[in-house]
Amino acid sequence: MSSATPPPSVFDGIAGVIVVLVLLAEFGMLHATLLFLQLRLYAAQSFLLSVLAGVAAYAKHVPELYALAVLSCALKVFAVPATIRRLVGQPSQEIAGSGVLGVGTRTLLGLAVTAVGFFAAKAWHIHGTFLPSTALSLSVSVLLVSFVLMIVRRDVVSQAVGLFSLENAVSLASLVVAAAMPLLLEVAFLFDLLVAVVVFGVLIRTHQLRRRSFLTTDLTELRG
Amino acid sequence: MNPTLPDPLIQIFQVGTVTLAGPGLSGFIARVEARLQGRRGPRILQPYYDIAKLFRKEALAPTDASGFFLMAPFVAFACYLTIPLLIPVLTSYGLPLGYMGDILGGGFLLALASFAIATAAAETGSPYAQLGSSRSKTFGAITEPVVLFVVFAVALLTGTDLPYALAATVRSGAGQIVRPAHLLAAAAFFLVILYETGRIPVETHNGTNEFGMIEEARSFEYSGPYLAILRWGSSMKQMIFYVLLINVFLAPWGLASNGSLVAVVLAVLALLGKAAVVGVGVAVIDNSFAKLRLFKITQLVAAAFLLAVLAVFTLYLGGG
Amino acid sequence: MSILLVVLFVGPIAAALLCALTPLPLGRAVSVISGFGSLGTTLALATTTRRHAVHALHYLQADALSTVFLLATALLYALVSLYTIGYLRGARLDTTPNSETVARHEHRYDRRLYAGINLFAWAMLMAPLVNGFALLWIAVEITTVVSALLVAFDGTNRATEAAWKYVLIASAGLGIALLGTILFYYAGAGVLGASYDLAFDPLLAHAASLPANVVRLGFTLAVLGFGTKVGFFPVHTWLPDAHSEAPTPVSTLLSGSLLAVSFYAVLRYFQVAVATLGPAFPRAVLLAFGIASLALAAFSVVDQRDLKRFLAYSSVEHMGILAIGMGFGTRLATVGVLLHVLAHAAAKGNAFMGAGALVRTFGTKSIGTMRDTIRILPWSASLFLLALLALTAAPPFGIFRSEFYIISGGLSAGHFVGVVALVALVTVAFGGLAWTATRLAFETRNDPSDHHGFGEPSRWLYLPPILGMAALLVLGVHPPASLLDLLVKGAAELGGGV
Repeated sequence: MSSATPPPSVFDGIAGVIVVLVLLAEFGMLHATLLFLQLRLYAAQSFLLSVLAGVAAYAKHVPELYALAVLSCALKVFAVPATIRRLVGQPSQEIAGSGVLGVGTRTLLGLAVTAVGFFAAKAWHIHGTFLPSTALSLSVSVLLVSFVLMIVRRDVVSQAVGLFSLENAVSLASLVVAAAMPLLLEVAFLFDLLVAVVVFGVLIRTHQLRRRSFLTTDLTELRG
Repeated sequence: MNPTLPDPLIQIFQVGTVTLAGPGLSGFIARVEARLQGRRGPRILQPYYDIAKLFRKEALAPTDASGFFLMAPFVAFACYLTIPLLIPVLTSYGLPLGYMGDILGGGFLLALASFAIATAAAETGSPYAQLGSSRSKTFGAITEPVVLFVVFAVALLTGTDLPYALAATVRSGAGQIVRPAHLLAAAAFFLVILYETGRIPVETHNGTNEFGMIEEARSFEYSGPYLAILRWGSSMKQMIFYVLLINVFLAPWGLASNGSLVAVVLAVLALLGKAAVVGVGVAVIDNSFAKLRLFKITQLVAAAFLLAVLAVFTLYLGGG
Repeated sequence: MSILLVVLFVGPIAAALLCALTPLPLGRAVSVISGFGSLGTTLALATTTRRHAVHALHYLQADALSTVFLLATALLYALVSLYTIGYLRGARLDTTPNSETVARHEHRYDRRLYAGINLFAWAMLMAPLVNGFALLWIAVEITTVVSALLVAFDGTNRATEAAWKYVLIASAGLGIALLGTILFYYAGAGVLGASYDLAFDPLLAHAASLPANVVRLGFTLAVLGFGTKVGFFPVHTWLPDAHSEAPTPVSTLLSGSLLAVSFYAVLRYFQVAVATLGPAFPRAVLLAFGIASLALAAFSVVDQRDLKRFLAYSSVEHMGILAIGMGFGTRLATVGVLLHVLAHAAAKGNAFMGAGALVRTFGTKSIGTMRDTIRILPWSASLFLLALLALTAAPPFGIFRSEFYIISGGLSAGHFVGVVALVALVTVAFGGLAWTATRLAFETRNDPSDHHGFGEPSRWLYLPPILGMAALLVLGVHPPASLLDLLVKGAAELGGGV
């Protein structure tokens, strides 16, 4: 009976659970059928990241991480969804029909890339100072699932949210391997994200005004 | 005045607890659900009265049905009587016969019971019952991998797949409870329970006859004592699943660690209390979600599958 | 000299603000002043950076490598600031504004375009100016979002589609590049302490003691990520769409400088990777991307019906050549690469500006309907033809010299397979370019009565290409010694071997 996997420490376990929830939020976005649900899932995912940063700050005594947690929470949980909501300005519009694959296939595809993420990150032998290395594997998985999301969902909102969640995945990875990065840089990254979000919002709005829908299936004029 | 009970007696208590508390649990959930909806609701003991009444009624069977049709409820009931021997209902240590089967053994017995009922339902010629049995087998086929992955996760967590061992592992430290793999497996198992006990969002549970029925449809052609046995069995099945969830995954505390009478009585009370808590949770879910369309049940199963596979991933690849 | 960096940092963004806030004539003048001012500043800067690097305000720096890219960007910025005048005037020739609202609308369009171009140029000048991988990433990300808005500027269905594809694919690529950057941070944290700001020099100085696997991974991710913006195959798919649908001044900047600036980002990672891993692996990566891109682009230009897409694929081709040159890795090839950056900026800028004049006159981008252009547009079309010839690496233009350097560098390093691939594919592309160019220029149209009006829409449309052509000739015939000094110094910074 010696083959049991030894348990991680309590801190690692809690951190692991939060990261797993981040991944599950990503899977939720893969399937979400309502525009606002999609945004809410993104906000929830960002909130989990902030919580993770807070937990790491508390457990490992890194006060800068508190600031990062608060900032990224303010920005990603509130500002980003609010900006998109303002710019899109449509009451809960359906983005249901935009998946090109069935639910089961999408889930299996997501699981497949999750496995790839796990294997890949394990082979890198990178260990963070604050968070368990499971978090790194999972962040790579989140990144890959966000690519699947952008590929299989053919509507502008899901694709944009997929991209923002890709950024979340990278933030997660940076929490693992680069948590002590100077706050100034982190703030610059976040500001950059906000600019990108505004531009995405403008483009989504233009798209929606011109095409009267969020779907991207008719974006086929440019080829060759 | 605290005599130590012999192990075989405690084992009998285990079976007895599941057998006797099962209908009460169903009644409790129905009651809570009614309260949540602002109704007064039936008595908690109502299922016992129902079963007693059914025992007094005449038994009818379709003319074309064979002996298997009449036997099936008893086969299922026997399975449900056997499973409590294998799982930690009251004690934290294995009792006589407790190691004769592992989680897979229990799973086989549950499958056997379900198979017997489904086959018998298919025999009746009633379209509703046949629909129910074919659906339950179809969805059973896709929930099976989920259950298997949960078992794998458990096996990886503990190095064995004995329910007692997992409960002991979970009790061994806080690190075991918060580890992602454990929580994921527990969550996947909870979704399986929702499916297996026929709760929202899979099907409605208050006896209305409608097209989307799965479990409920299978007992359509039974009556009298046979129906009573069937109903009783299905409430025991629910109890068994709850016991597995509570005493193996979520909260294996309050179990008797020795055979003293007081400990065993306390264990019974603790189990009932914990089952009631889970029951309230299920009732809340029942009330806050809509029933899924039949073809969307795959989504629920897909979610459960995702959780279970992730549990194995985190264990195998990430060391979680 | 560090004041020059500050001027470059402040100038264009101030110009952008002025354009957004002041009346159009002032904005127009400010843009031209800012464009040529930036070019002059960069040239002045080059006199210093060919000897040693310059720092300012802690976060700004310029060495020989970044100066090359600053020069390419500033040159196009200056040319485009002139060209935009003609672009906007030409647009209004046939449709004189007949109402107050139309005029006001056009006025607003013009002002915004000027502001956008200045902002875009500012972002592209920032990328080579900043000191540090994190800031570099941020600058490149800003170029993406600004240029995405500019691609969508005309607001047509096609422009919106192109902008969406561009911003999504490029940002996803940059997400990957960010992961690479963070891995670089992680690699450096072991040596430089947990809190450092990812500046180039300290990381480069300690490169030998960085963990090799992390740097290898970070470099590969960075090449893939920034490569999305460079236009490497297979992540080039946004490029033809964005280049063809953007307003011509924007396409010019996209193709001539944005791609180059993104390539500059790749080179910064390349520097560290070479210092940590030795030259073999980073060169192999770039060589592979380069040959793949070149192969795709060479065959795509052969059969292309849309004039601006045709030029866009030619950009992919030239980015492939840059990567191959870095893959060869000798000093001579590296000098060739840096020269190629400058020459390509001038040539491709000219080609896009000429194409813009053609598209404007014929009202279509379809190559099939443009014939006899030399007769209709004597200046623009002949300059366009010369620019296409320059792009095929015909002597005596700059690209001939740079490709010659690259190929002889490759031969001296013994990269025979790479050289053969390069020469063969460039020849294929030459066929495509030359065929299209001759058809456009000399083939007479079947129906002479159907003409689109003779004469140049505006002399501002062919004045900038004349300047560009002069630069190309200088680069090709006799590059000034100080410029060669700069290129050699840049090649040395890139660790080009003997």
